[in-house]
Amino acid sequence: MSTLQIWVAQALVIFLTTESVGELLDPCGYINPESPVIERGSNFTAVCVLKEKCVDYYHANASYIVWKTNHLNVPKEQYTTINRTASSVTLTNVASLSIQLTCNIFAYGQIEQNVYGITVLSGFPPEKPKNLNCIVNEGKRMMCQWDPGRETYLETNFTLKSEWATEKFEDCKAKPDTPNSCLVSYAPVYFVNIEVWVEVENALGTATSDHLNFDPVEKVKPNPPHNLSVSNSEELSSILKLTWINPNIKTIMTLKYNIEYRTKDASTWSQIPPEDIASTRFSFTVQDLKPFTEYVFRIRCMRSNGKGFWSDWSEEASGITYEDRPSKAPSFWYKINPSHTHGYRTVQLIWKTLLPFEANGKILDYEVTLTRWKSHLQNYTTNDTKLTVNLTDDRYIATLTARNLVGKSDASALTIPACDFQATHPVMDLKAFPKDNMLWVEWTAPSKSVKKYILEWCVLSDSSPCIPDWQQEDGTVHRTYLRAPSKGPIVRTKKVGKNEAVLEWDQLPVDAQNGFIRNYTIFYRTVIGNETAVNVDSSHTEYTLSSLTSDTLYMVRMTAYTDEGGKDGPEFTFTTPKFAQGEIEAIVVPVCLAFLLTTLLGVLFCFNKRDLIKKHIWPNVPDPSKSHIAQWSPHTPPRHNFNSKDQMYSDGNFTDVSVVEIEANDKKPFPEDLKSLDLFKKEKISTEGHSSGIGGSSCMSSSRPSISSSDDNESTQNTSSTVQYSTVVHSGYRHQVPSVQVFSRSESTQPLLDSEERPEDLQLVDNVDNNDEILPRQQYFKQNCSQPETSPDISHFERSKQVSSSNEEDFVRLKQQQISDLISQSCGSGQIKMFQEVSTADAFAPGTEGQVERFEAVGMEAATDEGMPKSYLPQTVRQGGYVPQ
Amino acid sequence: MSQIRNQLLQLNGSADALFILYYTAQGEPFPNNLDKLCAPNVTDFPPFHANGTEKARLVELYRVAAYLGTALGNVTRDQKLLNPQALSLHSKLNSTADTLRGLLSNVLCRLCGKYHVARVDVTYGPDTSGKDVFQKKKLGCQLLGKYKQVVGVAAQAF
Repeated sequence: MSTLQIWVAQALVIFLTTESVGELLDPCGYINPESPVIERGSNFTAVCVLKEKCVDYYHANASYIVWKTNHLNVPKEQYTTINRTASSVTLTNVASLSIQLTCNIFAYGQIEQNVYGITVLSGFPPEKPKNLNCIVNEGKRMMCQWDPGRETYLETNFTLKSEWATEKFEDCKAKPDTPNSCLVSYAPVYFVNIEVWVEVENALGTATSDHLNFDPVEKVKPNPPHNLSVSNSEELSSILKLTWINPNIKTIMTLKYNIEYRTKDASTWSQIPPEDIASTRFSFTVQDLKPFTEYVFRIRCMRSNGKGFWSDWSEEASGITYEDRPSKAPSFWYKINPSHTHGYRTVQLIWKTLLPFEANGKILDYEVTLTRWKSHLQNYTTNDTKLTVNLTDDRYIATLTARNLVGKSDASALTIPACDFQATHPVMDLKAFPKDNMLWVEWTAPSKSVKKYILEWCVLSDSSPCIPDWQQEDGTVHRTYLRAPSKGPIVRTKKVGKNEAVLEWDQLPVDAQNGFIRNYTIFYRTVIGNETAVNVDSSHTEYTLSSLTSDTLYMVRMTAYTDEGGKDGPEFTFTTPKFAQGEIEAIVVPVCLAFLLTTLLGVLFCFNKRDLIKKHIWPNVPDPSKSHIAQWSPHTPPRHNFNSKDQMYSDGNFTDVSVVEIEANDKKPFPEDLKSLDLFKKEKISTEGHSSGIGGSSCMSSSRPSISSSDDNESTQNTSSTVQYSTVVHSGYRHQVPSVQVFSRSESTQPLLDSEERPEDLQLVDNVDNNDEILPRQQYFKQNCSQPETSPDISHFERSKQVSSSNEEDFVRLKQQQISDLISQSCGSGQIKMFQEVSTADAFAPGTEGQVERFEAVGMEAATDEGMPKSYLPQTVRQGGYVPQ
Repeated sequence: MSQIRNQLLQLNGSADALFILYYTAQGEPFPNNLDKLCAPNVTDFPPFHANGTEKARLVELYRVAAYLGTALGNVTRDQKLLNPQALSLHSKLNSTADTLRGLLSNVLCRLCGKYHVARVDVTYGPDTSGKDVFQKKKLGCQLLGKYKQVVGVAAQAF
């Protein structure tokens, strides 16, 4: 019901508002046309027609009209006053996209007032969409694209229309952000011609593209073949067989393929002749490949007749051709140890490993055969590239073959001449010269035919010995260069730390060294930093980069140098971590432990000091201003005598005097306790300044809490830890002036009302809670009285509840007043004694009457024996001198 | 005609898979009682004679395609209710229905363009909406069996 009311109210408000606004906004005229859209660069004429009532009201006519565009006056020359109420303006060559055109009038000939305004939009009519084309991605819907033409600057809608000969399809409206394409909503149907075209329209016109009629099957872009796999053949080391799974579109069309391949390290692709794969198939064997070489393949497909689109490339797949026997004999040479003993000489046969394309597989071992004239063959097999043998002085023929899984290479033959052999056709005119950063060696060939040349060289250096290196050349050449490494070492990270990285690399293969590797140089840099170079001895295979920056990308490459030059290896990148290993743990764990420990200690501390904390945070401190000395009196007159409100406490279930008791450690007070005591002392001192003076707390002194402390009285230190409150009644009950000023003190050393100065004036009032069953064990209240024989009266203050009720206050004040009369007579200065284990539970029991005529140092019985509530009076009270009413 | 031929080949190429997909999706007893439950015994199914003239074959093909189109529409509707999880079957039924629609368009154009036949009377299958679940499944299975059979014949005929 309430909802209906709200709805009705809202409708009413809206209705009334609309009505009133309609009235308020009733213009004085209007501009025609209302919402013009014009072609950019054209002229535009608008007419402002004033309403008769405004003409009359404003004493104006059309000649008073002022036209403005974007708040600027239009030159008068462009105005035309048509008649008394109509004026026209012509804007020429409108170039702005949007113009605010307003018609204004000078009311009363002076006050310009806006009559009406319109927004003139300008743009271009749509151009005919061109280059319409469609594509059908296999398994998806057809998408058509076109060239939308120039920007129109107006809201322009492009709609792709499509139909069969027998039916039309749903229009496809291009999204505003992609006005040049549209994805149709229906699934493609193959082998049915569809006609598509684009219609475009905006406020300035429409245009239609050429119609495109095609069979969707001719616009298919198939999915790429998948699961491409490569397998080799043990029979033929030069082939790899590719297999794949064709896309599903193969069921409705034949496919042709592109297959490309490259070696793993190459960047350019080779292509299988397309005519070999021009029809649907699911495998192909690639031939003429190098043995033991890893090739990478990829494949794509399209409709075999070429109508349509190529698919994307498939995932790449790689395979390694099978091994073939080494295609070349290793380079082979020897060195003869100059020492010659007992007809034998030590010969070291040395050879170089084959390059990968020569080895055609993994070289398992080398086989060396030594043949002496008319002697048996000596066969050696080794994995190394050198072999040391003891030979006689005779001539030997050594052969060397490299063996892999498939077979052996051709043999390299080497004649080791006899000891007394003299070369008859030495190489002449040996020259070495640098050229193109290489060291070239040239010689004149001997007249006789040469099988091969061996070049030996070493570096002449004062600091390093001549370590000969060698290379083999064919017998047909007579010039060569000493080769620098053919490739650089491939560096990688072994371990990356926050500020360091251990790099490692493999030794270059011998045949890639092209000499002796003298040293490596490691170049490393950050993306933005300078490159740093570090030289590393050639015997090392790892190096630690230090002083790196954490969380930084480093690029590192290595160059191997021979005497002839160096060659860079591929660049390697690594990123140093943000934190070192274990650093996070090293930070987090101690912090957590410290936090835990702190929390634990804090909890323990709080637990141990809970009383102290409680005292500081929410101590049971009664408001001293509401405390009265009468509350301590053991003899309180019946409350109902004074105030009817007291009736409610007639059962005695309340506390008349609030007492805070602090049980201090008997052995040794805590420092905090002492501190708190200090605080109280300070408070006392400050209060004293407001009191009536030392030497006798006047009746005008305000009530102060008293705390036993060692500073106040040494004697109390050992006996008392109870803080008691005393009140000095300084005014009578309910504006009654007390007949005698009464002072009360809890103890001589208590900072209570400066009672030390005038202990004789103190009066003691017990605080009693009738129902309090838990009595303090060490509660006492000592007061010095002048009569030493007087037994101490026990004033046992139990921790009590705050008395906040005014009734209770009234009651307490009354008691205080009554008691004060007695105290003033009986209590003088004297020693305060302590009473232990006493109870005042019944001190203010209702109906307590009678007089206490004698106060002795008694306990609980002292009061009860007299038929009085349990209460204890100060020692200073004389017998019969302190008689509650 | 090549488009019609290709369409028939396309339909024929997928008919068997559709049939298997259908009876598999229905569950037992269909897969093990194909002879009894999925025999191509469809009443009122338009005849198709492979040895007729091209015009006659086109007319009969049109009737067959029209019949199959509507009947497959019913089967698709029923299967979406009976086997809502069989999305692959739904997709294949929709695809087949689309192709049949294209076939109808091509055949009509051919009849209209070459033989000036602008209208062909067609018949439609029974409405299955009132049938019980088993009957719906059975009729669908029989229809797809018949479809597989007739499409094979038509593909050979063109």
